[in-house]
Amino acid sequence: MKGEYKGTDGIDGIESKGRELVEAKSASLGVGGFIFRLLGFTFSLVACIVIGLDKQTKTVPIKLIDSLPPLNVPVTAKWNYMSAVLYFLVTNAVACTYAALSLLLALVNRGKCKRLGTLINVLDAFMVALLFSGNGAAAAVGVIGYQGNSHVKWKKVCNVFEKFCDQMAASIVVSLVASLAFLILVLVHAIGIHRRT
Amino acid sequence: MATDNPEYKTSSTPAAAPAGVDFFIFDVILRFLLFAASLVAVVVIVTGNQTIYLPFPRPAKFRYSPAFVYFVAAFSVAGLYSIITILASLFVKKSPALKTKLLLYFIFLDALILGITASATGSGAAVAYVGLKGNNHVNWNKICNVYDKFCRHVGGSLAVGLFGSVVAVLLIWLSAYSIHSRAPR
Repeated sequence: MKGEYKGTDGIDGIESKGRELVEAKSASLGVGGFIFRLLGFTFSLVACIVIGLDKQTKTVPIKLIDSLPPLNVPVTAKWNYMSAVLYFLVTNAVACTYAALSLLLALVNRGKCKRLGTLINVLDAFMVALLFSGNGAAAAVGVIGYQGNSHVKWKKVCNVFEKFCDQMAASIVVSLVASLAFLILVLVHAIGIHRRT
Repeated sequence: MATDNPEYKTSSTPAAAPAGVDFFIFDVILRFLLFAASLVAVVVIVTGNQTIYLPFPRPAKFRYSPAFVYFVAAFSVAGLYSIITILASLFVKKSPALKTKLLLYFIFLDALILGITASATGSGAAVAYVGLKGNNHVNWNKICNVYDKFCRHVGGSLAVGLFGSVVAVLLIWLSAYSIHSRAPR
């Protein structure tokens, strides 16, 4: 990033070489955008897979009556039991699909059509919102899962389903990285246009 | 409005410059909407406290849930940010040389605020949904049949918060478009 900046700054003063300048800038913009788009795609895909495979079954002893020995009951935690996690998965799937499509489009386009670049930027901003809201939703439910809420008597479940909760936390962190990649994509695009002015 | 812009006429395309100036007014309007939305969201959720007696008093407050605390904090930040940026927009209106640079900073900060408000709306909505429907897999009972006023306030606040997030998206689009309109074709 720094090297590109320096390079384009050097040419910046020469007004007559505008065309060359624009090409150099769009090329550097393209590389940065490509890397972050690939990052966004990979991380949202990983987040999807990690949360999609998240399932844990555990036998929990439950004492119904004090005099009887405790009953062993198998309990299962699965991602689709919680709507927020479902939403989280859907947002990541959407972002992943979109990243793949826009990667293809950007490769085909290569900065030729400015209109398409703007459209991709607009959708990038939308993906930022989508991914962040999904992260927020999953994290909020995860916090209740870890700590519970004594005021409304929601008991914590992560002392039972440790593996499930750890996997979910990992997925949220990975998805957060993906959403930051999309955030940086918006910024990279803005910097790219700004350099042309 | 369209005439006080000699800088762009010399440096870039003359046709694009007035359009960019016009967007600044929409920008201020959207920022004001963001401010109004965050203010309303914070006020509505903070005033939603409800105490029921069954027969002991059991209050419901937003600060009992970390997600709602985050929601209030995020929208307070968004409101403060929008005041600052409204002032900055109005201040910079007189010096057009700064505008393009400011637009770039605005995109940066708007994107951050969008992330904050969207995640706050998501987290608040996730908790509110559990409160509304409950979850029998983990034995979290629904509470909105008991705390009706509290839930109504939370729901209203979340709706306004969602609107605020949409406004933040629109702000980024507008800034990107107006910075785009300043670039030479």
